[in-house]
Amino acid sequence: MMTTLLIQALVTGLILGALYGLIGCSLTIIYGTMRIVNFSHGEFVVAGCFAVLMFFTATGLHPLLSIPLVFVAFFLVGMCLYYLFVPRLNRGDDPEVASFLTFYGVSLMAGAILLYFFQADTRSLNYVFTPSVYKIGHVFIPTAHIVALATGVAIIAALTWFLYRTIYGKALRAAIMNRDAIQIVGVNINTLSALAFGLAIAIAASTGVLLALVFPAFGPFSGMDYTLVGFVVIVLGGLGHPIGAIIGGIVFGIAEQVAIVFLPQSLSQAVGFIILIAAITLRPSGLFGKVALR
Amino acid sequence: MSSNRLVWTRTSIWLGFLALSALGLGLLPAYGFSLAFWFYLLLWITLASGLNIMAGFTGYLPFGYVAFYGIGAYAAAVTVKMHGLPIWAGFIAAALAGVVLSLMFARTMVLRGIYFSIVSLALAVICRLLIAAMPEDVAGGSYGISLGFSNPDGAYYAMLALMLATLLTVTWLAQSRLGMALRAIRDDPDTAETVGINIGTVRLKAWVLSAVIASMTGAIEAWYTSIVDTETAFNLLVSTKAVIFAVAGGLGTVIGPVVGTVVMLIVDDLIWQHFPVLNVFLLGLVIVLLMMFLPSGIVGSLIRRKPFLRRILF
Repeated sequence: MMTTLLIQALVTGLILGALYGLIGCSLTIIYGTMRIVNFSHGEFVVAGCFAVLMFFTATGLHPLLSIPLVFVAFFLVGMCLYYLFVPRLNRGDDPEVASFLTFYGVSLMAGAILLYFFQADTRSLNYVFTPSVYKIGHVFIPTAHIVALATGVAIIAALTWFLYRTIYGKALRAAIMNRDAIQIVGVNINTLSALAFGLAIAIAASTGVLLALVFPAFGPFSGMDYTLVGFVVIVLGGLGHPIGAIIGGIVFGIAEQVAIVFLPQSLSQAVGFIILIAAITLRPSGLFGKVALR
Repeated sequence: MSSNRLVWTRTSIWLGFLALSALGLGLLPAYGFSLAFWFYLLLWITLASGLNIMAGFTGYLPFGYVAFYGIGAYAAAVTVKMHGLPIWAGFIAAALAGVVLSLMFARTMVLRGIYFSIVSLALAVICRLLIAAMPEDVAGGSYGISLGFSNPDGAYYAMLALMLATLLTVTWLAQSRLGMALRAIRDDPDTAETVGINIGTVRLKAWVLSAVIASMTGAIEAWYTSIVDTETAFNLLVSTKAVIFAVAGGLGTVIGPVVGTVVMLIVDDLIWQHFPVLNVFLLGLVIVLLMMFLPSGIVGSLIRRKPFLRRILF
C-alpha cells in the first residue's frame, strides 16, 4: 500500500515538477537576460488557465489546440510589456529592486483585471478525457496528467532545441552569461531582450493551459503562489540556467508530493523550501549554477 | 567644515520635526481620536525604516522580513499567555527572539541579490509552517493565540516609542562610522574590504538591528489586536508592504521610508474611498508609475534632481 502511494506521489510529483520547471525556466530567461525580477509571472500562468477556459467554452475544441494560439497571443503581450517597462527600468541604477516593485504593481493590475472579468469563484475546465484514468499496476494516473506531462516534455524539448541549437537561442544564452560582451559582437540586445520577454510570457501562459488540465479548479488569486514557486525553483536550479530550473522544478515537485505521503499536510509544504535551504547551504550557486554568486 | 554644518542643520530640523510630531501623536488618544489609522501609520513607518537599515544601507532586500515580525508576535504572545508573564517580559522575549532568529539566518548573507531575497522568503514560509505545526499548548497551533486582554492605548504609545527609537537609530546610523561602512559595502564590497572594513561583522550588526525592530513591532501589534495567528503574523504582504513603502520614499535615505509610508497610506486610503471597484488595479498602477518616474523614491529623486534640497532632506 505504502509503495503504491509512493509511486503515485512520484508520478504526480514528476508531472507537477515539470510544469513548475517550465514556470521557473521562463522566469530565469527573463531574469538571466535582463536582470528583471518579473513578480507578475504567476498572473500570466493564471491568465493561461483562463485563456484555455475561454477557448474551450467558445469553440468546444480540444483544449490542447489552444496552446499555439495562447503562445502567440502572450508572446505579443510579453513584447508589449517589455517595451513598456524594461528599457526604462534598465536605465535606473538598481534595476533589480525597481523591477521587482514595478512588476509587483503589474501583478496587482493583472490580478485585478482577471478578477474583474472572471469573478472571484474558482473555475474548472469541464473537459473529460476518455478513458479518464489509466491503471498501470496498482497505480492510477489520470489521462489529463499524462497528456500534460507529454505536452510539457514536448515544450521542454522544443525549448532545449531552441536554446542549444538555434542562433537565437545561443544568443539568448550568451546574453545570460555576459550582457556586455554580446553587444560587442553585434547583437541588438534590445530586440533580443524583447523576444526573450515575449518567449518567457508565452511559455508561462502555455504552462497555465497545462495546469488547467491538471488542477481541476483555478481562481484569479493563485498568481502569487506560482510566482513564488517559480523563484524557488530557479534559485534551486541555479540562476541563469534554464535547464537547471527544470531539474529544480522536478526536484521541488517530487519532494512536495512525496512529503504529503509521509508528513502531516501543513509540514509537507515546508519540505520544498527546506530542500531549497539545504541545497543553497551546500551549493550556494544552486544545483547547476556556476557564476551566479556576485 | 561647511559639510559638518550642513549635517548639523538638517539633523536639527529633522529632530525638531520629529519632536513636534511625537508631541502631536502623543496627544491623539487624550482627544479621543480613533487610533486604528494612526497606530498602523506608526507601525508601517517603523517597519519600512527597519527594513531600510538592511535594504537601504547594505543593499540586501529581505523578502522574508516578515519572519522577524511574526516571531516577535509569537514570542510575546507565548510569554504572556502560556507562561503568565507581564507584557514587558513579552517585549523582552520578542527582542531576544529577533536576535536569535537573525543570528540563525545570518549565514544567508553569503548569498546576494535575488538569491538572498528568495531564500529569506523561504525561511519566512518555513517559520510559519513550523509554528503552525507545533502542539497547541506550546504555540497555539493553527488557531493562533488569544492574549485575553488588550490595551490599544498602551500599544499605541509603545508603537510611538518604538517608531521614535527606530528613527533616531537610523538618523544616528546615517552619520555614524557604522553607516558609512555599510554604504561602502553596498556600493563596492571588495574595496570596502580592502580599506579594512570587516564585512561580516558590520553587516551582522545591521541585520540584527533590523530584525529586532521588526520583532518588537510584531510584539506590539500582538498587544494591540490581542490575537496572534500564523496567517496574519507571517503574511508575506507585511514584507511586500514594508518594501514598497521604503522604496516609494527612497531606500538608503533617512526620511524616505517615513515620507513613502505616509504618501502610500494616504493614496491607498483615497483609492479605497473613491474607487472601491478598481482599488487594487489603481494601487498597482500607482506603484508602476512611481517606479517608472521616480525610481529612487520620492525623497531620493528629489535629492537627485534638486541638489540644494540636501540641506533639509537626507
